[in-house]
Amino acid sequence: MKRSLVLFFGLILLLGFSPAVHAADPIEIALLYPLTGPLADPGSRAKAACDVAAEIINGSYDLPGIPFAKTQGIPNKGGAKIVLKYYDTQGSPEVGKAETERLLQEGKAKLIIGAYQSSVTKPSSFVAERQKFPYLCAESSSAALTERGLKYFFRVAPTDYHDTVMFFQFLDDMKKEGKKVSKIAMVYEKTEFGFHANEEVKKAVAKSNGAYQIVADIPYEFKATDVNAEVLKVKAAQPDVVLHATQFSEMMLFAKAYESLGVKVPANLSFCGGYQNPVFAKELGKTVENYMGSCTFAEDFIAKKAQLKVLNDMFKAKVKSNLDGVAMEALTAVFVAADAFNRAKDLSPDAVRDALATTELQIATLPGKGVKFDESGQNIWIDSTMSQVVGGDYKVVWPAEWATAKTVWPMKP
Amino acid sequence: MDTTIFLQLIVSGLLIGFVFSLIAVGLTLIWGVMDILNFAHGDFLMLAMFSSFLMFANLGLDPLLSLPIVVALLFMVGLLTFRWVIRPVLGYPGLIALLATFGLSIFIRNLVLFFVGPNYRVINQSILAGKNFSILGLHFSLSQTMSAIGCVLITSAVYLLIARTKFGRSLRATSLDKDTALLMGINTNRVFALTFGLGAACVGFAGGMLSNFYPIFPEVGLNFAIMSFVIVALGGFGNISGAFLAGIFVGLVENVGGFLIGPEFKYTLVFVLYLIVISIRPKGLFGW
Amino acid sequence: MQTTKRFAITLAGILLAFAAAPLVIASVHFQHLLIMLLLYTTLSQAWNLIGGYAGQVSFGHAVFFGIGAYAAMAPLNQWGLTPWVGMAIGGVISVLVALMIGVPVFRLKGHYFAISTFAVAEVVKELFSSWKWVDGPIGLDAPILEQGFYNLMFYKTKLPYLYITLAFFLVVMVLTFRMERSRMGYYFRAIKQRPDAAQAMGVNISRYKQYAFVISALFTAICGSFYAMYILHIEPATVLSLDISMKIVLVTALGGAGSLWGPLLGAMVLIPLQEYSRIWLGGTGMGIDLIVLGLLIMLICIFEPKGIVGILHRLTRQKG
Repeated sequence: MKRSLVLFFGLILLLGFSPAVHAADPIEIALLYPLTGPLADPGSRAKAACDVAAEIINGSYDLPGIPFAKTQGIPNKGGAKIVLKYYDTQGSPEVGKAETERLLQEGKAKLIIGAYQSSVTKPSSFVAERQKFPYLCAESSSAALTERGLKYFFRVAPTDYHDTVMFFQFLDDMKKEGKKVSKIAMVYEKTEFGFHANEEVKKAVAKSNGAYQIVADIPYEFKATDVNAEVLKVKAAQPDVVLHATQFSEMMLFAKAYESLGVKVPANLSFCGGYQNPVFAKELGKTVENYMGSCTFAEDFIAKKAQLKVLNDMFKAKVKSNLDGVAMEALTAVFVAADAFNRAKDLSPDAVRDALATTELQIATLPGKGVKFDESGQNIWIDSTMSQVVGGDYKVVWPAEWATAKTVWPMKP
Repeated sequence: MDTTIFLQLIVSGLLIGFVFSLIAVGLTLIWGVMDILNFAHGDFLMLAMFSSFLMFANLGLDPLLSLPIVVALLFMVGLLTFRWVIRPVLGYPGLIALLATFGLSIFIRNLVLFFVGPNYRVINQSILAGKNFSILGLHFSLSQTMSAIGCVLITSAVYLLIARTKFGRSLRATSLDKDTALLMGINTNRVFALTFGLGAACVGFAGGMLSNFYPIFPEVGLNFAIMSFVIVALGGFGNISGAFLAGIFVGLVENVGGFLIGPEFKYTLVFVLYLIVISIRPKGLFGW
Repeated sequence: MQTTKRFAITLAGILLAFAAAPLVIASVHFQHLLIMLLLYTTLSQAWNLIGGYAGQVSFGHAVFFGIGAYAAMAPLNQWGLTPWVGMAIGGVISVLVALMIGVPVFRLKGHYFAISTFAVAEVVKELFSSWKWVDGPIGLDAPILEQGFYNLMFYKTKLPYLYITLAFFLVVMVLTFRMERSRMGYYFRAIKQRPDAAQAMGVNISRYKQYAFVISALFTAICGSFYAMYILHIEPATVLSLDISMKIVLVTALGGAGSLWGPLLGAMVLIPLQEYSRIWLGGTGMGIDLIVLGLLIMLICIFEPKGIVGILHRLTRQKG
């Protein structure tokens, strides 16, 4: 009797472990990022983050708040693994567009994630839209991207509209605390990112009915040899706060120029861009002490959510620095993709698109509840927070429910 | 406009201008003697900056101390570039040499990208880093000031080298008339090689000094390269003092003009002024 | 120099090959490659007129390209004007610009001229970058309109684009061929080989250079308009950049500047090289494709400065 029972259970086990008759084919995602060219740094960070996400989804990790971590692969698609294929946009809209057409021609990917720069995401998503193919944008911040009426376009990150709203709410709060805040200087790069951020700020200032004025509006050419003229213009205007829409290399130049030219503005706020790169805070140390910026991730978050440490460590193993908001957005996008694949009735472009449109993914990687897209494709469950550089680390200072430190205003000299 | 701000602009303009000058001097030497526009000049600058950084990061060597090594390194790079890339194309129309250096530029840039990655680096712990001082309300960064002084000294040294030494004479002779120089017993190939090396060494010095305060990444050379081409043309082909003055001029225009008209136009202003100057004096301010 | 008959036959053969190729290889990406190849051949041949034959190396041809691109795109966006008219407008403006800058700039020698052309292109790029009417640095996108010849937009297939570029190619090749055999071509050769003698004989060099420059500008602008309607997104950084100027120079010089078939040969090597090295090696993000490209450019310059045309000549001579 015992022997037959053992045999019976043995048979069950055998059947359970035998290779499935239909092996689940891996599901391919195409990713468009600048892997060479002037923006290769954020591009390679996004790549590393996506690789981490794929490892987690495909492997088995015990991470509460992170869906698909425990399971291996996509459960509803037979445990199919996610495969990431990268396409280098070289930071150029033309190349990005060509690569998009090429990957669509190859016909193997089930979804596109890309492309970091708003100026590359725009034409490349147009291509996808014309061919009715789903496009998930992780981090491009220009609000215009979701204002085009596209049906196949979705975006995870907050836009410069969100950031602006948050900035002004923050500034209002500072006013309530008695800080003198009314004169704003804005320094922004002459690209889609910079211009849109600037437009949003102008709109917000107009709406404030005189509570704020823009005393210096300083666009600059991306790729400068030095920024003394720009910084001296800020100095001349004597603002209470300076807003920056700047990429990393220029942000370094600006930070050093502020210091060497003795420009002391009480506060320095950055839109999501160069500020977030951890090298910025670490390498520039004292120079950027108390700089602030919008952020969707900071090492600080780990204090509130321990499972993020695993993600951060895996990321650090690849690029030797901490995750930042931009990389985290890319990482989250891969989870959004996994979730869509899981719920889609099949992997055809329209089914994937419909699954994306009905996403309600609760995930602990970004501030806010997670990811849910409205009719325009914008993620409405995401919040932005404000972090500040304190002692070489990014500390979240606003809003209160995320804050781990109090805002230092004015900046320490 | 506030006087202090105006003076500060002049100071900043001069500080960066002196660095521009040295870079341009390197370029104009090569142009003057060999009639070659070295497209890879900016990338030589980048190589110097990275050498300085790598010695800092891996050996803990302060950029000031590694400066002579960087200069020597770049001198070698210049010699090698001449031997392998330039000498084979000397007899041919200038377009070919241009393209060869253009190919070299792409090659160097991406080779560095391959080995060190795209991340921006910065040297923040050094003898010069992070120190600022002020005189009469004008702010100076120590590293920028030292860079400027260093560049002026080297420019003067190069000028004296060309004007007063035997080597300088053979260089000038070769640039005036290569064939006659050859007949006179000057080893023109050696002159060319040494000139190229010297040009690269100048840029090596500038890069070594820049690494004290400037972010370092594979594409950093491009912006400086573009400015140096305009400066060299402005100053006149082969003219060291011309390159020096033009470099300062551009630095000032960029800062003062940029402030007055709008920093987004600061480079445009340089180009427009260049076009105006060149239409009045087709060989640059001091060309011959 | 080839006889007219040999030229016509070769040209016809090439046209046929290009027209038939997409029927053999059905890939959309391959068609894109052909279109880019023909476009750059046209651009390079246009540049060749002034840079190769007339010997005035320009690094600023992007200015004409950009003008053409914006002339097609901006009126379409703002007034719904058909891009063909925009193309004509772009052509006219480019010609005027060429005349304006030609006069002062031709006095300059060699590198000065090159840098000046570059300076002009940069100034124009900055102007467009600050011009609100064309959305500044953000650039312009093609509106989503009905496809067809009228709007110069085709979504479902790239073949019409291919035929248009073939037509451009045909025109520019015939033009260059005729030019070679004309007085202008004769004078250019004279200037190149014996500049002093030519001058002594009273050849009005600048006038012919101006002609070449103007025609060059016109064709470059037309290509720019086409490009705008093909890529459907333009911005100053992409259509007015040094990258475009240099790519054109590179293709021509690689193929053999001052030769009839140089631009085509250069494009046939460089364009697929760039595309495929990116496809095979680009995804790693380590820039290997560009390392290879840089190396190849240097090697061709060092070993065959006359470009691919030179290599072919050597091969055919060896065959005896």
